Amino acid sequence: MKHLMAKKMVLFSVIGTIVAMIFMASSIIFPHPLMLVLAMSIGQGIAILALVLYLLAVALDLQSSGGSYVPLEEPPSIEEPPPPAEGSGLPQA
Amino acid sequence: MLSIHTTEQLLQAIALACAALSVAIGVWYIVRRPHLNRVTKSMLLLGLGAFPLIVSLTGNISSFEYTLSRPFCGSCHVMGPYLRDAEDPNSYSLAAMHSRNHKFGENSCYTCHADYQMFGAITTKQNGMKHLFKYITEYAGTGPDGEGGPTIRLYKPFASAACMQCHSTTGKRYVEQHADQIEQIRNGEIGCIDCHNDIHPLALSRRPGARKEAAR
Repeated sequence: MKHLMAKKMVLFSVIGTIVAMIFMASSIIFPHPLMLVLAMSIGQGIAILALVLYLLAVALDLQSSGGSYVPLEEPPSIEEPPPPAEGSGLPQA
Repeated sequence: MLSIHTTEQLLQAIALACAALSVAIGVWYIVRRPHLNRVTKSMLLLGLGAFPLIVSLTGNISSFEYTLSRPFCGSCHVMGPYLRDAEDPNSYSLAAMHSRNHKFGENSCYTCHADYQMFGAITTKQNGMKHLFKYITEYAGTGPDGEGGPTIRLYKPFASAACMQCHSTTGKRYVEQHADQIEQIRNGEIGCIDCHNDIHPLALSRRPGARKEAAR
């Protein structure tokens, strides 16, 4: 459920960013005063909101997938092999 | 073909390239709808975070630089007569002569009309927002040069400090020619444009009776 919601939030965030980029790029290509004001206010506002939405979506996704910190298992300790039994033919230490 | 000769053009090119990359990543996500794994998240962080940040920074700087230029000031139609006079190579108005100066001619409007103080750039941009508001609310549909709109006038008297950025008032010839009023000029009691008032004659002549008011 949370994962689906996160995907939807990412989608909205992507659409918002595309709109913001179009605003900002058009103000560079057609630098009319009104376009500049729109790009610097609405365009940047949408871009910031989109980024916040994306970060929220990532946090939600991590929460839903149990992305909490799991410590690594301790590696098995290397035990010394038992000394060979007498009469086995192997040299003794 | 895109040619880059100035820092402003370089910043614009960077901003456009990053905007294109950001849009490309966005379109890729919408079309493919990939699973939200680590690679997708990293790609989206670039497309939604890093690239837009670069676009914002470089776009703001290049846009700010452009707002200093004469073509930007002249992009509102009410400034048409002012712009035509400033760009006229045969004009001997103060605006035209200063606009021909190769040091700051391209930014002549801003150089002479910007507030000359610590936060001058900020207050000037605030006034620019006021210009835009008035342009939309008072001058829309008032003729090709805004003839039907109210008389254009400065918000406050023109400060001689703008002239004194270059004209220091200390040169020998200047002191000789202005000996009688030099202290009053330096104190601001007499403005430079009180005498040197042939500034925007073409523009002002279009609005009879407005000359005195607009000059101040």
